[in-house]
Amino acid sequence: MAEFTSGFFMGDKATNGRILVVDDEADIRKVVRMTLQKAGYDVLEAENGEKAIETINAGENRLLLDVVICDIRMPKINGVEAIAYFRSNYPRVPLIVLTGFPDTDMATSMLRQGVVDYLVKPVEGEKLRESVARAMDQRELAHL
Amino acid sequence: MRDLTDSAVVSTLAPTKVAILGAGRGGTALLDLLYRIPSIEIIGIADRDSQAPGLQRARDLKIPVTEQAEELIANHGVNLIMDVTGDPQMERVIHLHRRPGADVLSGTASRVLWELVRHEANLQAELFHAEKLAGIGHFAAGIAHDINNPLQLILGLAENLVDETDIKTVHEQAMEIVEAVKRTSAISRDLTQYARKTSARDDVVVWLNGILDEALKIARYAASFHDITVVKQYEAGVDVKGNPDELLHVFVNLITNAVHAMDQGGGTLTMTTRAGGGATSVSIADTGCGMPPEVLSRIFEPFFTTKGPGKGTGLGLYNVKTIVNKMIGKIAVDSRVDEGTTITITLPSSEEAPP
Ligand SMILES: Nc1ncnc2c1ncn2[C@@H]1O[C@H](COP(=O)(O)OP(=O)(O)OP(=O)(O)O)[C@@H](O)[C@H]1O
Ligand SMILES: [Mg+2]
Repeated sequence: MAEFTSGFFMGDKATNGRILVVDDEADIRKVVRMTLQKAGYDVLEAENGEKAIETINAGENRLLLDVVICDIRMPKINGVEAIAYFRSNYPRVPLIVLTGFPDTDMATSMLRQGVVDYLVKPVEGEKLRESVARAMDQRELAHL
Repeated sequence: MRDLTDSAVVSTLAPTKVAILGAGRGGTALLDLLYRIPSIEIIGIADRDSQAPGLQRARDLKIPVTEQAEELIANHGVNLIMDVTGDPQMERVIHLHRRPGADVLSGTASRVLWELVRHEANLQAELFHAEKLAGIGHFAAGIAHDINNPLQLILGLAENLVDETDIKTVHEQAMEIVEAVKRTSAISRDLTQYARKTSARDDVVVWLNGILDEALKIARYAASFHDITVVKQYEAGVDVKGNPDELLHVFVNLITNAVHAMDQGGGTLTMTTRAGGGATSVSIADTGCGMPPEVLSRIFEPFFTTKGPGKGTGLGLYNVKTIVNKMIGKIAVDSRVDEGTTITITLPSSEEAPP
């Protein structure tokens, strides 16, 4: 019933939003996916900044991607570089940092660059979903 | 290749020939200290007790030993007689037998010298430990990453289990949690072992390949290995006699430096062990930034670092050199800017090594 309703109102996009999770650890991508799918989000994965940039530039993602959740410490293009790329090329897509390293300098610099949240692992599902919901609101505002 | 440990202080003057009387703790420390100074030649060491530790050590270093102090005192070549026997009679014996032209250091003077040597040894031990603790700072990012990632997995799975009804999934995820907990606890075990003070086990047979693997594991917390390919070229069964904790520390430092040198764009870390001809060698090679001559000439100085504040203490290679010297080993550094660095440590293999 719920599925039918959201499909009815949202056309093809029968989800609450499309989220890209960027983390070099498959385990992390898996639990974040689990957590967000429960809240009705559609989840894409990328294992590093390079793949993330490829993904966001691929076909409909360019338009349909709602939020990016990104780690900092990653191979290839790291989180800092990837976030800078997203901010300048896709300023409308809200970003959430999800990192293993509590670093106040990094957090400050990230928040200054406009990321919605700087979350330190381990973060509870509830908190992550709240953060994503907030990011979604920002996206709606940006569209108005 | 430049052999920095040797070429740094080569002197062209004729060496000072020293005779050491007394091969107890004082004599042994003196022997170790003087042995490393190229401008000093130890022509012999004497002790009434043929089992005195300094005599054993001298035999390993191929330095003549005798139980007859008189013989050594009367030796023609000797320029300086150092008396650390603590025996009040010895002064008379020296007086009777020494050649004119041979200087004597005895009594209070030699005691003060012995104090200085001991002080220097303590200082080194303290610097060594200080660097290890400072090094833990490097580890913070790596540890946080390696602990918080599995914690995220554990938390995520546990939250899911709260309302998971499929028994097969429950079982699988519970097992995943168990594995993640094990991984996490291994981290603190590795690191606490590394951080503890160095043990006094100085003469254990150490299998270098095992120590290198352990060092690699620990270095992973100190430096980011992203985009780094690790190549091991181990010869089987390569061993040395030494202190395993100190050797571990040597390799953690070398590997960490190598990986730091490749933090722009990655590269290859090659760890090689070789044995043969009574010697054992380990090289750690990187394809990193390399060093210009003005850096290369200073890397063994204490507190010399090109890394930013909070990033390097500059004690890493100083401690490496101290440990390698103690083991009567050699360090060779081959470095080219933008191409990489190879550091090779050559140690006497276990049968040849000092006891
Ligand atoms: N493999 C290497 N490639 C390039 N430079 C190196 C390498 N190893 C050492 N160096 C240079 O030598 C300096 C001294 O190294 P050392 O290990 O003594 O101190 P450090 O690494 O700066 O600090 P730490 O006390 O944390 O080890 C380094 O700062 C670096 O400039
Ligand atoms: Mg170092």
